[in-house]
Amino acid sequence: MAGGYFLLFSKFLIALALCVSLSFAHASVLSEYEVKAAFFYNFTQFVSWIPVPDKKLPLRICVLGDNPFGDLLQPLVGRKSQGRTLELANPEDLTAAVGCNVLFVGSSNLRNLPAIIATAQEGNMLTISELPGFIGRGGIIGYVKQGNIIRFEINLQAADAAGVSINSRLLELASRVIQ
Amino acid sequence: MGRWRWRYWPLKAKLLFPTLFTSTLGIVLVCASLIVVENENYREQLESELQVIAGILAEQSAAALLFEDHEQLSNIISSLRKIETIKQACVFNASGVLMSALYSSDDTSCTNMKAQPELGFVGDYYRLSQPVTLYDDTVGLIYLISHLEVLKAHIRTFIFLALGIGVLIQLILVFVAFKLQRVVSHPILELSGAAERISLAHDYTIRAPVYGNDELGRLGTTFNDMIGTIEQQNRRILESRDGLERIVEHRTSQLSLANKELEAFSYSVSHDLRQPLRAIEGFGRALEEDCERLLDETGKDHLRRIRAASVRMGGLIDGLLVLSRVSRQPMESKRLNLSEMLQDIAEELIDLSKPLPTEVHIQPDIWVVGDGRMLRIAFQNLLENAWKYSAKEQVRLIEVSATSGADYITIAIQDNGVGFDMRYIDKLFVAFNRLHTPSEFGGTGIGLATVNRVILRHHGKISASSEVGEGARFCVSLPVGD
Repeated sequence: MAGGYFLLFSKFLIALALCVSLSFAHASVLSEYEVKAAFFYNFTQFVSWIPVPDKKLPLRICVLGDNPFGDLLQPLVGRKSQGRTLELANPEDLTAAVGCNVLFVGSSNLRNLPAIIATAQEGNMLTISELPGFIGRGGIIGYVKQGNIIRFEINLQAADAAGVSINSRLLELASRVIQ
Repeated sequence: MGRWRWRYWPLKAKLLFPTLFTSTLGIVLVCASLIVVENENYREQLESELQVIAGILAEQSAAALLFEDHEQLSNIISSLRKIETIKQACVFNASGVLMSALYSSDDTSCTNMKAQPELGFVGDYYRLSQPVTLYDDTVGLIYLISHLEVLKAHIRTFIFLALGIGVLIQLILVFVAFKLQRVVSHPILELSGAAERISLAHDYTIRAPVYGNDELGRLGTTFNDMIGTIEQQNRRILESRDGLERIVEHRTSQLSLANKELEAFSYSVSHDLRQPLRAIEGFGRALEEDCERLLDETGKDHLRRIRAASVRMGGLIDGLLVLSRVSRQPMESKRLNLSEMLQDIAEELIDLSKPLPTEVHIQPDIWVVGDGRMLRIAFQNLLENAWKYSAKEQVRLIEVSATSGADYITIAIQDNGVGFDMRYIDKLFVAFNRLHTPSEFGGTGIGLATVNRVILRHHGKISASSEVGEGARFCVSLPVGD
């Protein structure tokens, strides 16, 4: 029995060492929100809206409520994703979020979530959040942290409902997909 | 070495060689160009396949690159393991950092892309760099290295196959060419064989078989016509030869009859004519001795004349007999010393002749081939002539010299006598023709005719040159013999 524990423990150690070394490679360079901000931009590239919007219109990214990114999203402003210029907004409440294409739901909006989801579905918005269990509650993309690695999960039903199409390449990378 | 020259080749080889050489050249060229084209095509195919693979890979890995998902990237490129030709596959992100790599067993590390490695077919590898783009943004780079063993194996197989097919085609061509060349060579060989048989056997009834109506057919027909003509002419020649032979036989028999008659005549002359002549001479002498007192001077003169005439006639008969003998007598040729013979004759003549200062120069050691008795008659006549016609000079000078040529030896007899007029040279060697009257110089007129006959029978030549009063020169050319 003792040998079995030892084997398990050693496996755990190896896994831990691997995780640490892998995450170290990234974490040493980028902070958690830097990674999340980079993901943010990447998400916009693998998502399309139905109906297809005019390319001349800017792509409006909104951070609802408290902004955990600080200035990290500022570099996105002016960049282009799928031909559309990115715009950044930080609406205080839901009413101000009209016209957003991508909606980041901050942790402060936990209570108001059903309303936000409903509004977002109406407004053809891609919802992203780091709230735990976000996609289970109708959100489309949710950040998850596996150990030190930032990953994401996708709710395809919610995406369909919001008229947002997710590229299969993005689905392949998701840690979990709700269909 | 010489046997391998083109002109010693048999006709079949001459016909086969150009055909097969051309076909071999053609097959080799076709095979070579096919191999080159196949090599190019296969390269292009390989290139486009790898480009497609790289394109798919790029499309698949764009998202994973952006999200720096190593696990997904290695999943994506591990699908390349199924493609045996891939030696190395490396995925770099936009900043050139290696994100994922796949190596074949003997490979270890990805090339540093910053060094800008050469792309395309270099050495034993094909290198491909495919940028990973997403909406016009380059998000990474895929670098593929493929080894060309499959290409080489394919080309090797193709070469073997092409060579095999080429050899097979060539064998078929050899067979076909061999069959076809007979169509051309067979009539020619038949013609040549017929010509050889005709030439060897002299059988002009042989005809060459004629095939078809082309140039060879016409050649055969023409050849047969020619042989036909030759056959006819040959027959005519043979017929005329037979005719000629019959004529010759006839003439020969006539000639031998005539010869026999001549011999009979000669015999008559020598015996029958001589007997009455001896009677005339004998009785003339008896008359002179016994009845000299009864005859006056006129009678004696007549008697003397009768006797002289009968003596001369005896000489003539002797001369004719000699001429007839030298004409008919069989020859016994041998090598003999003419100088000694001439010396003997000269000594005899000196003994007989009147005491006149005489100088005879005979070149020593003149060797000739001929019948000794006949030559003696001939040269006796010539020397006697020289003696006779120089009898009226103060000093008699006779010189015999010889010059040797390639085929003839020429003996010249020169005297300082009265000579003769060159106008009558034609009559010189004809019997009974005399250039001087008997009162000037005695003679029968048969001597030079006899000399001429002897020399002719020796297949030689005789000529004479002279000026009146300046002596005469007789040149005798005799064949040297073996």
